[in-house]
Parts: sequence; structure tokens; C-alpha cells
Amino acid sequence: MGLFTRRKMAEKTKDESYKVQSTTSLDENLEKIKLMLTDCEDIIYKEFRVGVEQDLRFTLIFTDGLVDKPFINDSILADLMYHAREISPDAPELKDELYKLVRYGSIPSPELKEIRNLDDAILAILTGDTVMLIDGTANIIVIGTKGWPARGVSEPSTEAVIRGPREGFTETYRFNSALVRRRIRDPRLKLKQMQIGRRSFTDIGMMYIEDIAKPELVKEVKRRLATIDIDAILDSGYIEELIEDNPFSLFPQIKATERPDKVAAALYQGKVAILIDNTPFALIVPATFNAFFHAAEDHYIRWIPATVLRLMRFIAGTLSLIMPALYIAVTSYHPGILPTELVLSIAAAREGVPFPAVIEALILELTFELLREAGVRLPTLIGGVVGIVGGLVIGQAAVEAGIVSPIMVIIVAVTAISSFSIPDYSFSNAFRLFRFLLIFAAGFLGLYGMILGLLLMIGHLVRLKSFGTPYLSPFVSFTASDLKDTFVRLPIFMMKNRPLGIAKDKIRMVNNRGEIKQTKDGYNNGEGADKNDKK
Amino acid sequence: MIRNNDNISPYQLSMILIMAVIGVGVFNFVQIAAKYGGNDAWIIMLAMGAVHILLAFLLIKLNCRFPGKTFPEYIQQIIGVIPGKILVFLISSYIMLNLAYEVREFTEVAKMFLLPRTPTEILMFALILVCVYVVRGGVESVARLAEITFPILFIPFFLVLLPGFTSLDLTNLLPVGSEIGTKLTRMVPHAPHAFRGIEYILFYIGFMERPQKAYKPVAWGLVFVTGFYTLVSIIVLSAFGAKSATKSIWPLLIYIRNINIPGLFIERLDGIILSLWVVTVFTTIITGFFIVTYSFSKIFNTKEQKQFALPLMIILYYLALQAAGLAELYQWGDWIFKYVSSIFIYVVPVFALVIAALRRLGVKKSEDF
Repeated sequence: MGLFTRRKMAEKTKDESYKVQSTTSLDENLEKIKLMLTDCEDIIYKEFRVGVEQDLRFTLIFTDGLVDKPFINDSILADLMYHAREISPDAPELKDELYKLVRYGSIPSPELKEIRNLDDAILAILTGDTVMLIDGTANIIVIGTKGWPARGVSEPSTEAVIRGPREGFTETYRFNSALVRRRIRDPRLKLKQMQIGRRSFTDIGMMYIEDIAKPELVKEVKRRLATIDIDAILDSGYIEELIEDNPFSLFPQIKATERPDKVAAALYQGKVAILIDNTPFALIVPATFNAFFHAAEDHYIRWIPATVLRLMRFIAGTLSLIMPALYIAVTSYHPGILPTELVLSIAAAREGVPFPAVIEALILELTFELLREAGVRLPTLIGGVVGIVGGLVIGQAAVEAGIVSPIMVIIVAVTAISSFSIPDYSFSNAFRLFRFLLIFAAGFLGLYGMILGLLLMIGHLVRLKSFGTPYLSPFVSFTASDLKDTFVRLPIFMMKNRPLGIAKDKIRMVNNRGEIKQTKDGYNNGEGADKNDKK
Repeated sequence: MIRNNDNISPYQLSMILIMAVIGVGVFNFVQIAAKYGGNDAWIIMLAMGAVHILLAFLLIKLNCRFPGKTFPEYIQQIIGVIPGKILVFLISSYIMLNLAYEVREFTEVAKMFLLPRTPTEILMFALILVCVYVVRGGVESVARLAEITFPILFIPFFLVLLPGFTSLDLTNLLPVGSEIGTKLTRMVPHAPHAFRGIEYILFYIGFMERPQKAYKPVAWGLVFVTGFYTLVSIIVLSAFGAKSATKSIWPLLIYIRNINIPGLFIERLDGIILSLWVVTVFTTIITGFFIVTYSFSKIFNTKEQKQFALPLMIILYYLALQAAGLAELYQWGDWIFKYVSSIFIYVVPVFALVIAALRRLGVKKSEDF
């Protein structure tokens, strides 16, 4: 299909006037809908008559499995079929204003709307709503009856915490927006909804707090989402790839999370969240290098351990990146850097290994990556076996067979453990791949090559931006006060401002912790609070 | 659409300045300073630093007359389009020479201390190639790179210098200030050797929203550079004495090599420092190389500077290969920095300022200092 026809098609479907309008004849409407839904055998058509003379014809259309059937029975059918009989047949409102009576009076459902074209009716049916056609009127009533089997709110498996809320997002969009809303009871929390996907019509919600998020950012996210024109959105990954700044980068520029508290925290910082139906992952933009090293828990445990853990995480991240490369560079190019005894013991351990250090490292690293991949894909029961086979056979046997040296096994093991300390999966993948690049660079040019490889990475990172925010901020575009929540996590009472680089409204905390001071004769019984009230 | 705004902040400007001026020359410059300045080399450093801060203020003044414009743009206003373009071309050629010198000098050092058997060509090519990648990102990337590499470079560097202080003998600095006048005059022609790179701000200030705000960051940047040079000279002079400091080409590296920290599992620190020093050479090249590509984009009136990076890289590589060896390189370096640098660092900006003032071009008075 040429570009031209594609454009034409796009315009055609966007245009309202191409939609099929409904008519006053029930039969005609029904016929058209049935024609469009030919061979869709999960659609249920319920035709029924109301009135003493049984001359008022109704039809309910809905998709089996997507609707809450008891609700349809109790609130729609029961009311119309039984209660309507109690009205006398000659009542004038029944004849003249049947539609209004039904629309406003007889369906006890909280969600009702009316439409006038059949395309929207079909979309409503396929979304899980129930469509009611009434003979004699062109208005179609859509009743909200969504109710499909959904996974309940459970603990997120990829971002577990020891202390902190255990709720995670689910596959149902509406639950997810509610989970966020529960944490932000602020009318300024906005939720803009849209449907993306020509065929999938996936619900997408964009959340932001109006007076904290920068309007340029909100506008930009909206613009990028609006440009998406694709047949289906199956997961947040689709959206991520379609709107991120540099899809060719190894580094994710959008943060995906399963935790509503993380989304709420990001919203309070002035970021924008994107919720997507059918996936438990919400997207947060802008995302920076710094944010990928933060775990949700950092803000819930006491600040000193949080800081230490965070520092450890950064160090472990660096180690996972450079450790094998550093080993290769030092042992094969610059043994002079190390003390003589250490060089000798390394040389002794490597005796009999037929490969240069680079090949050795590559063999082990690749084996490890294979094991890891196998462990992820296999069912848990077999996964354990893979661990044993990998650990024992490949580690122990490879050393004894003289293919790799024991020191290399240690290096690769430490690297592996370090790499698990990066909290974000897609970010740690970037480090994984860069590790291989550095191994090659170090094998080729020693320390010089390794540093050049790192500089290439830094060079790439400084070029990256996520929705207008430099990826390395706040380390670049330097603002000293934003450093409070980076390598360290200062106590919450010291972080009185929101991150300056992102938020529009900067003030986060007004009063001082000092007001909880202890007086000589015990606690000051909330005097501080009183003072606040007077102000 | 959020586009690159091509703006740099005052903080970024001072980082660019520091990273541009401090390059591989540090290793070698102490030797030159010791040769001409004897044990008073550090005082000479301080004096030269002060003079260069004043000079930098002149450069800022020139820029303040043309807010929102960069040097290649307003020089065409000052001396006419064609002469302006020629001048810009000459300056970029000079910067290219400068960079080629820097690349070559560093790869020679790296070869000697790190990779004795790897061909120079490969070392150079790998380095330049990575530089090109960043330069293609535009001025914002360059500024951010300078910002991020500053702590990566200097924190470990100072930490490494500290334990060696036990071997310092400050009496080597005595007597202070004898024949300081003649030493200064002998040293003056070699000043560009240490402070080349300062002219880059002429280009970078144009990217600031308000050039009037450049005074403070530039002054701080140069104070840092001067302090750094002075510290290094004091360390080298008091560790070796003026006489023996002149004997090796890179006395600072020898000093670092001799540092021995008992209990540390790293024995020789010079390898570590030298690999860190890749970073400073890298930033020096990038800050300069961006200017060259940018100038070319202004000469040919193109919107972007990206497309010039790759062809110019080949020229840079070719230039860097020209010297036959270290000795020839240093000979050329002496010549370039004594005469050519002086013209472009001191003479051209001052003349541009004078002509602009005489022709009453641009904003006459800057609103705030």
C-alpha cells in the first residue's frame, strides 16, 4: 500500500461524517450492527418487548465475557421487563416519551450515555459496555457494564520492597488510575484519557499534577502520544518505543514501573505518568540516569541506611560495568600497576589456560548470560536445575578442565551479583551490553581502550535527553540543591524543594522539623501545630 | 517539540574553560616553567594567571557588545563578511593545529607509559573517533560533557597527589623571588603554552543567554586553572628541585610514579593517572573541535555543524601524524605557541574589540557587570 492511500485511509477514519448514523427503525439499526459484527459469535443480542401490549421493542447487545451479567439482569432487564408492567398501558409518557423515560428513569446504572452512530455503538459493545436499541428513536443508550475476569491488586513481582506499600498495578486500566488517585486527593491531579490503536482502541491515560508539572512537558507528552497511529498497543513497551527521544539508544529514557506509590512520587515531583490498559506497567517521563538507580524503598527506610544502600548500588553498578574490562586491561597490558605478588598469583592461576584473558572473559560472560536467560524463561522448577548445572558444571568443571582460570570465575560472579543490584531491568540491560563493549575495548587497547569505551558511553549519555531533560541531570545542568536525592538520600526534612530541573512549583515543605522540639518539662504537646494554625 | 536550545549556563562555561585549558600540557609545561623560571616557576604561574584573567575579561567585553551572537557571526560584522570569514578560517586552522598537537602529544605519552607496542595511528584514531561522536551532539553536549568529566577527573587526581606529599621538600623553593623580573620576561613568550584554550571562550560565551554573566564563571575557571598549575609546579619543584625537574620531559608523571602507598593493592599510580588523563585530553579536543566545526558551519552558512565533524576529523588525524617523533613535535609546538598562538589569543581579540569600538558597533555599554 502506498503512502498516499495510507494517508487517505487515516483521514477517512478520523472524519466523523464517515460514521454510520443510526435511524429510528430498530430493525434497520440491528441489521446494520449485525452486518458489521458478522461471525463475531461472542456477541449476544437480547431482544425483548415491554408493555402490556408487548409492543415496545428493545434490543440489548453486549459481548459475552466482557460484561457483568448479573448487573444486566438485575438493573436493566428486570427493571424494564417487570417494573414496566406496573405502569398503566395508557400512560401518556409511555407512548410519547418512551426514550426519555428509559434514559432517565428506568435503568439504575451509574454509567449511562447516549450516542447517535453505530460505529461508536460497536466500539462500546467491544469495550464491554451494553448497547440498548429502542424502536422508534435514533438515540442509542450505552450502559456501563464492564466486568471481566481481572487479576486483583497484588504485590509487584519485579519491584518488591521490605518496607512500603505492597500494592502493584494490574492489567485493568481503571484499577490503576484509582490506585494513583488514592494517593493524590488533589483536584489538580489531572487524568487525560485517550484511545490509541486503530484496531485495539487501547485506553491510555496521562496523569499529571497541573500546577507542579511544567506545561511544556505536558504539552509535549500529549503531542507525542497524539502522533501514534498504529493498529494495536499491547503493552507499555509499544508506547515507550514510539514516544522516546532516541529509540536507538541502549538506555531507556522512560521509566516503567509497577508501583503506584512510585508513580505518585513522580507526579509529586512534576513528572508525567502514562497508564496503559492491559499492562501492569505505567510509564514515567522524563526519566533520568539518576532515577534508574533509585528503589522505591529509598524514601521509606531511614535516611542513613538508605544513603549507604544507594551508594552501594552506584558502586555496584560501576563494578558491573567495568570489572571484567579492568581485569583484562590490567592483566594483559599493564601488570606493572599491581604489586608483584598479586601479579604472580594471577599468573599462577592462569597457567595452563590456553586463551588470552579477553576470550576467557567472553566465554564466561556469555555462559553467564545464557544461564540467566534460561533461568528467566524456564518454569521455576526447572530454573533451579539450570542454576545448579550452571554453577557446578560450568564453574567448577571449566576451571578443572583448564579452560578458564578461577580468578576469572570470581570476576564474572562478582560482576553478575553487582549487576543485579541495579533496580531497573531495562536499565541494567544497557549496562549488560556496554559491559561487552568495554571487554572488547579493553582487550584491544588496554586501560586506554577501556577509558575510551567509558568516554563513548558518557558521550552518548550527555547527548541523550528525555523529554527535554538532560539524561544525566542533575549531574549536568548543575543545580546543587538537586544533588540531595542522587548518590545520597538526605532526610526528607532537608529536601524542602522539588527537583528544580523538572518541577514548576518548587516548594514542597513549608514548616520546619524543628517545631517538634522537646521542652524541659516533656513534650510541647503540639504547641508547634497550634502556632501553625494561627498563621 | 522540545528542541535543543543551544544554550549554556554560566557554570557550564567555567567547566568548559577549565577542561579546555587543562590538557596534556600539564605534564610537559612544568618542565618548561622550571627551565625558564627556576625555583620561582610557581610565582610566575600565579602572575600569568592574573594577567590571563584580565585578558579573558577583554574577550568577554568584546562578546558583550554582541549579545546572542558568537564570534564567527559578529566578526563578519566588524571587519566585513569576506575578511571575517578568512579570519575565522585562520583561527579554526590554528585550533586544528593545536588539537593535532594535543592528540599527538598525548598518544606519545600514552604509548610510552601504557601501550608501548601499539601503533600510534590506532591510538589516535580511536581517540578522535570517539570525540567526533560527541561533537556531533552540538554545543549542549559539549557543555554537559565538560560538566560531568570535571569531578570524574579532578577528584581522583587530587586524591592521588596527596599521599606523595611526604616526599616534598619545600626548601627546594628557596630563595623565593630572586631575579624574578628576568625570569618573567624569559617566560612570557611561553605563556600560551599553558593558557592556550582560553580563546575558546570567545566562541562559547556567544551561546550564553546573557554574556554579561560570564565574568564570574570565567574568573573562577581561570582561578582554578592557575591554582592547579601553581600547585603542580610547587609539587614538582619541591619534589625534584628546579634543576632535575628540567631533566625529564614529564616530571609530574615521574612524581606520580614514585608515589607509594603501603597497603594499597595498586603499586604504580602513573598508569591509573594516565588513563584518567585520557579524559582531559578528550575534553580539550572536544571543546576545540566543536569550535572548528561550528566555525566551518558559519563560513559556509549552514544550519548545522554536524556534517563537518567527520571530514575535519580526517584532516585532524592527518595533521597529527605529521611530526616524525616527540622531539620534532615539541619543536613545532614551541614555534606554534610562541608566535601563532600569541597572535590568535592576544592580538586578534584586542584588535577586534578596538575596531568594534571605533566603528561603534554593537551594544556600547553592558548593563551590568
